[in-house]
Amino acid sequence: MALGLQAPPSLGVPGKKRWAMVIDLRRCIGCMACVCADKAEYDVPLGVWRTIVKVKNTGKFPNTKRHFMPRLCNHCDNPPCVRNCPTQATYKHEDGFVLQRYERCIACRTCIAACPYNARHVLPKNRDRVKIGGVVDKCTFCNHRVEKGLLPACVQTCLGRSRIFGDLNDPKSEVSRLVATHSTVVLKPGKGTQPQVYYIKPDRSLTEQAYSEPVSHAAKEDAKAFYRHNRGSKFFSGVL
Amino acid sequence: MFEFMEYNVAPWGHEITVYFFLIGMAAMVFVYASAPAVFGDLFGGTARIAMEPFQKIGMIISLILLLICGPLLIADLGQPSRFLYPIIHFHWTSPLSWGSVFLPLFGACVVGYLFALMTNRISWLKPIGILGCLLALAMPLYTGLDLMVQQARELWSNPTIPVLFVILSVSSGTAAVAVTELVTGKLNKSVVEFLHWFLYLAVAVTFALFLAEWVVLNYGSAEKQQIWHIINSQFAFEYWVLTFLVGILAPLILVAIPKIGRNPILLTLAAVLSAVGAYSFRAVLIYAGQLGQLYY
Repeated sequence: MALGLQAPPSLGVPGKKRWAMVIDLRRCIGCMACVCADKAEYDVPLGVWRTIVKVKNTGKFPNTKRHFMPRLCNHCDNPPCVRNCPTQATYKHEDGFVLQRYERCIACRTCIAACPYNARHVLPKNRDRVKIGGVVDKCTFCNHRVEKGLLPACVQTCLGRSRIFGDLNDPKSEVSRLVATHSTVVLKPGKGTQPQVYYIKPDRSLTEQAYSEPVSHAAKEDAKAFYRHNRGSKFFSGVL
Repeated sequence: MFEFMEYNVAPWGHEITVYFFLIGMAAMVFVYASAPAVFGDLFGGTARIAMEPFQKIGMIISLILLLICGPLLIADLGQPSRFLYPIIHFHWTSPLSWGSVFLPLFGACVVGYLFALMTNRISWLKPIGILGCLLALAMPLYTGLDLMVQQARELWSNPTIPVLFVILSVSSGTAAVAVTELVTGKLNKSVVEFLHWFLYLAVAVTFALFLAEWVVLNYGSAEKQQIWHIINSQFAFEYWVLTFLVGILAPLILVAIPKIGRNPILLTLAAVLSAVGAYSFRAVLIYAGQLGQLYY
């Protein structure tokens, strides 16, 4: 049951929109154009991302494969981040967007703890051009573009047309057709969040948390160095 | 080369752990200090006999702890100047909103009780004490609920967490009372008997919940087993030594042996050890609960 949401789940509700994204991983080439487009669209600072492409190598030579996995906010139909926000700074739009009111956010990071997909981050303070800082930020499905009839920046720029965006409640939309005719997977369906980013043919090394730890020595060392460097600074507090 | 291009942040650090510990301690110290007015002659008047001299100093300790907790919580926010927003823009499904309402109300009860004591308004003590005790119970409960409602974190999304936090606050509150009474030379036989009962109960329940947590993590889902691995690799010292041996087993042995358990100094030692365990148990739960998902 969806509690504490400003708008009820709209998936399958007649007369309502339910914006969703399908990511066809057979088409993703790992070019990171979506990441760059997103950085450019929102002036996303260094060290944080609204969307990323995770890369994982599987197998051993000569039987190897490199998997790409674009990740972003899943704009859940039952989002735990919205339910847990103490100020209603993060809220659910009636068309399915999960959005953020910067002027209300106190950066308590409850929404970061609540998100099963690590889709949220804290913007640094004292930014040069964009003055929004010291608050939590996330992917918005580019609602400012969608409301003007445009596609999200990452979808617009996707070279292989791996990212497809549309209204899942519209049976004529491409996302509806893809979800209906392909085997799709959502991330962590057991959490009851009803995520609205659908993946076609993902690898389980990238969908299951138990396999998510980095395999390569270099990546592990990078992660440890990152935490060592940030220990004691705000929001890291020497957790590792 | 780019196995992952995002280093996820564990959002809650030491500030939150220290806050959870201190607010639990402040709450239980209030319960002890208001016990003479709230419980009066119930249970043979034990609370009145044991805790009457502790009322004023107990309230002052509770107030000092609150004066540390409040600013610490505000300083931890990314936008400290907006600390009233959880009350102004109240969201009923967020335990943090409820906590933001309860915290100042609890502070008002502490100040009110202290004022009534100072001005000798005896009739005020019981109603303020009862309201304050309910709010004191809400303090560790809401901190536990803050974790429990995070369905994404399997170590936290567990109905025992709020109960555990209440029990841990009994341990840490008992330690604060025992140390204060020992230092001020008021740790007499009736106080020892009173504190011994609460500490025994708190440590025994903590032991049971520790075992329950151990079983759940070992027999649980892939994520729980992953967290069990994280606890045993990165937090082995805090979990096994500080929490289990120092914080649970040692005080349990001390209070379980009748002759040793009622020795004022050993009882105080047991209470302090259980407070160490109460801190490290919370710390391990808070940190390890976040790290499971770090690389996802």
